[in-house]
Amino acid sequence: MWLLGQLRWWLLFALGMSLLPLFISPGTLRIFIFANFLAMFAMSWDILSGRTGYISFGHPFLIGIAGYTTAMLTYHLNWPLYITIPTAVVTTMIGGTLFFLPALRIRGTYFALVTLAFMELMYHSMQVVQPKLTGGTRGLSGLPTLVSGAVPNYYLSFLVMFAIGVGLWLLIRTRLGIALSAIRMDEDAVRSSGLNTTRLKLFAFMVSAMVAGIAGALYTHYLGSIAPRGIFEINFLFTILVAALLGGAGTIIGPIIGAYFLTFLLELLRPYIPGAGRYLIYGVIALVLYYYVPKGLYSLFERLRERFFRPRPDPQSD
Amino acid sequence: MTDLLEVRDLTRTFGGLRAVNGLSFHVGEGETVGLIGPNGAGKTTVFNLIMNELRPDSGEIFFKGEAISRYPTHERVKLGIARTYQVPRPFAEMTVGENIRVGMLPDNLWKMVTEEAEEALETEIGRSVGFNNHQIAQRPSELAMGDLRRLELARTLAVQPSLLLLDEVFAGLTLGEIDQISELLVERKKHGLTYVMVSHDLRSMAPLVDRVIAISFGEIITEGTFNEVVNNKTVQEAYLGQ
Amino acid sequence: MGQIIIQGFLLSGLYALIAVGFTMIFSVGRVLNLAYGVYIMLGGYVYFVAVQMYSLPKVPSFLFAALAGVIFGVLTYQLLVKRLQGDAIAVEISTLILAVVMQAAIIVVFSPAPRSMWPLVPGVIYVYDVAVQKNILLATVVSWVVLGGLMVFVHKTHIGRAIRAVSMDPKGALISGIDPQRINLITWGLSGALGAIAGVFFATYTQLDPGMWVFPLITAVAVVIVGGIGSIVGSLIAAHIIGFMETITTTLIAAELRGVFTMLLIIVVLAVAPKGLFGKAEL
Repeated sequence: MWLLGQLRWWLLFALGMSLLPLFISPGTLRIFIFANFLAMFAMSWDILSGRTGYISFGHPFLIGIAGYTTAMLTYHLNWPLYITIPTAVVTTMIGGTLFFLPALRIRGTYFALVTLAFMELMYHSMQVVQPKLTGGTRGLSGLPTLVSGAVPNYYLSFLVMFAIGVGLWLLIRTRLGIALSAIRMDEDAVRSSGLNTTRLKLFAFMVSAMVAGIAGALYTHYLGSIAPRGIFEINFLFTILVAALLGGAGTIIGPIIGAYFLTFLLELLRPYIPGAGRYLIYGVIALVLYYYVPKGLYSLFERLRERFFRPRPDPQSD
Repeated sequence: MTDLLEVRDLTRTFGGLRAVNGLSFHVGEGETVGLIGPNGAGKTTVFNLIMNELRPDSGEIFFKGEAISRYPTHERVKLGIARTYQVPRPFAEMTVGENIRVGMLPDNLWKMVTEEAEEALETEIGRSVGFNNHQIAQRPSELAMGDLRRLELARTLAVQPSLLLLDEVFAGLTLGEIDQISELLVERKKHGLTYVMVSHDLRSMAPLVDRVIAISFGEIITEGTFNEVVNNKTVQEAYLGQ
Repeated sequence: MGQIIIQGFLLSGLYALIAVGFTMIFSVGRVLNLAYGVYIMLGGYVYFVAVQMYSLPKVPSFLFAALAGVIFGVLTYQLLVKRLQGDAIAVEISTLILAVVMQAAIIVVFSPAPRSMWPLVPGVIYVYDVAVQKNILLATVVSWVVLGGLMVFVHKTHIGRAIRAVSMDPKGALISGIDPQRINLITWGLSGALGAIAGVFFATYTQLDPGMWVFPLITAVAVVIVGGIGSIVGSLIAAHIIGFMETITTTLIAAELRGVFTMLLIIVVLAVAPKGLFGKAEL
C-alpha cells in the first residue's frame, strides 16, 4: 500500500500512456516507440553518469554490444530471441566491466575520453574485423522481430521502459542512491566515510550496462537491422546525452521527460521546417536549454511543485 | 594504557622533499594527542598516510594491534579511524542530515537498499554537535564556516570511530565557535573518544590534549606535556623558522 | 620502406597541424573543446566557397578561412565557454552540442552531399621514387612552420609567455596582473585559426562533407592523450607515433584497421599513464 502511494504519479502516467493507442494513429505511435527507447538509453546513461558523475561518452558502445550480440546470434545461428536477448544483456554487462576498469584510476574528462575511445574502437572494428560475422559496413538486416505492428511494439516498449523507470527510480530513492550521488560530489569523502566506492561504482556500471543491454537488444529487434553507422556514432551519443541532461541528470524521471520532449520537438518541427533544418533548430534549443537550465526540465517541475503544493516549513519553528 | 594506534618508521617523499621522514609514535586508548609543527612540517601528510589517502614509501601502521598498512581507506574507517579535513568537504548538494546519513551508511549494498535510514539517530548526531532542526534541513551553501566544521565533525562521528584525526578544526572560527567545538571534544573525551589533533591554535589546543608531539621537516623534535613541548627550545626555533 | 617513411612523415605532419590548436585550449583552460572539429570543417568550407564558388585567389581565400576560424573560436569562448569556466564536463557537453548544431547548419547551407576540393598546389613530385602529392607536402611544410612559429610565439613574445603562465598556474597568473579571460580569448581565437588552416589541408586531403569534423576531432583527442596535456613537443611526437602507426597499418595490414589501433593506443595510454607519455602541466 505504501508502495502504491509512492508510485501514484507513475501509475497515473502508465494509465494515460496505455490509453494512448486508442486516440492516435500508428504513425504517431511509432514516434512514441522511439521516445520509449530513447528514454531507456537515457536512463541507462543517467544511473551511471547522472548519479555517480562518471560521464560516459561511450554509451553507444554498450548499446551496440547488446544489439550486435543478439543480431549475430539470431542471424547466423538462428537462436530464438528468448535466448539471444538475455545473452546480449549478459554480454553487455561484461562489456560494462571493460568500461569500469579505467574508472578505477581515472575520472572526469579522462574517463569520458576512454569511453569515447571505446565507442570509436567499436565503430572501426565492427566494419573490418570479421565482416562475415558482423556484416561489415552494411551491418545485418532482416532480423526477427519480437512482435509486429505499431500497437504491440508500442505496448512492449512502453512496458519495458516503465518497468526500468520505476525500478531505477525506487533504487535511487534508497540510501544506495544517496551513496551513489555522494560519489559524484566527493569520492574521497565517501571513502573516508567507510564505504567501498569501488563496489558502489561497479554496481552502478552493472545496472547501467544491464539497462543498456535490454534496451539495445530490444531496439535492434524492433528495427530488424543493425549497422555500425547509426549506433557507434557521435550523433547517437549526442541524442542520448541531450535527452538525459535536458530532462535532468541524476533523477531518472528527467531522462524520460527529456526523451519525450526531444522526440516531440523534432516531430513538431516537421511540418514547418524541412530536412536538416529541423536538426539545426533542435540543436539550438538543446544548447540554449542546457545553458540556461543546466539542471534540466525536471528541476523546473520540482520548483513549481515546491511553490504551489508544498509550502516551505516555517523557519521560526525548531 | 594499551596502544590504539602505532606508527612505525613512516616515510613519504614528494619528489626530493621528505614530507614525513622515519616518523614513529603511538597513541594510547582514550588518550588525546596534539600534533604541532610549523607549516609544511608534514602534519596533514601524516593523517593522509594513516588514512591511506597517500601511500607511504616505507613504514608500518598498527591499529588495535593489527597491521593495517595494506588496508584500503574504507577498511581503516570500518576498523574505527576517521578524519576531518582541513578545508571542510561536505557533500554540496545534500542537506546536513543527508551528509550525516552518508557517514552512517553500512558498507553493504543490500542493507543500503533494504534498510531505512535511521533519521532519529541522524538528528541526534546533528544535535550533539550543536545543530538545530532547521539547520539539519539546510544545505552546506547556507552554512557559516563554524557550521561547516561542525558538519564535518558530525559526519565523522557518524561512522562511530574509536580514533578521530582532527585536522585544523579551529581554523577560521570565531571564539564562540571554538568554545563550542572544544566543549564538544571535552564531552566526547569523557566518553572515551581518542583523538589526534593538528592545530595552529595552540591556546585552544592546550586544554584538549594529554600529550603533544612536535614535528618539523617530517621528523619528531620532541614530545611531552603541552607545557614541556611549547617551552622546548628546538620547538620554538622550528616555529621561528631557524 | 621508403614509402612508409615518407607517407608517415606526411600524415604525421598533417595530424600535428590538426591537433595543435586543440592542445592549446586543453593546456590553457583545462577543457576539451569538442567543437574543435567544427573549426576544421569551417576552414575547409570557407576556402571552398572563396576559391571554387567565387573564384577568389588562393592566398586571400586561405586567409579568409583562418579569419573565419578566429571569429568562430572567439565566439565559442565568449558566448558559451566563458560562463561555464571551471566546469570541464559542462564545457565538453555544450561544445559537443554546438558541434552537432554546426553540422546541421552546414547541411542546411551546403546540402549533405560531399564536395571535393581542388588541391592548393596541384601535381605530384617524386621523392626517392615515391609519388608525393605536392599539396600534402605543402601541408607538412606549413605544419612545421606553424608549429615552429607557435613555439617561438609562446616562448619569446609577451602574450605567448602570458599564455604559458596561465597554463601553468591560472591563479598565480592572475596575481601577476595577467587577465586569464583575455588570455583565454586569445588562445581560443588562435586555436580557431589553427583549426581552420588545418581544415583547408585536411579537406583537400579527403573531401568536404558535414560529418568531416568527427575524424579530426578524434585524431586531436588521440594526439593530446598520447602526448600528454599541454606539451607542444609531446603533441608533435604523439602525432608522429599515431601517423606512423596508421601508415604502417595501412601499408602492411589493412587501411580499415588504422582506426582500431589508434583507439587501442588511446585506451592503453589512458589506463596506464593518464597524464600521457610526455605530460607536464604547462605549455
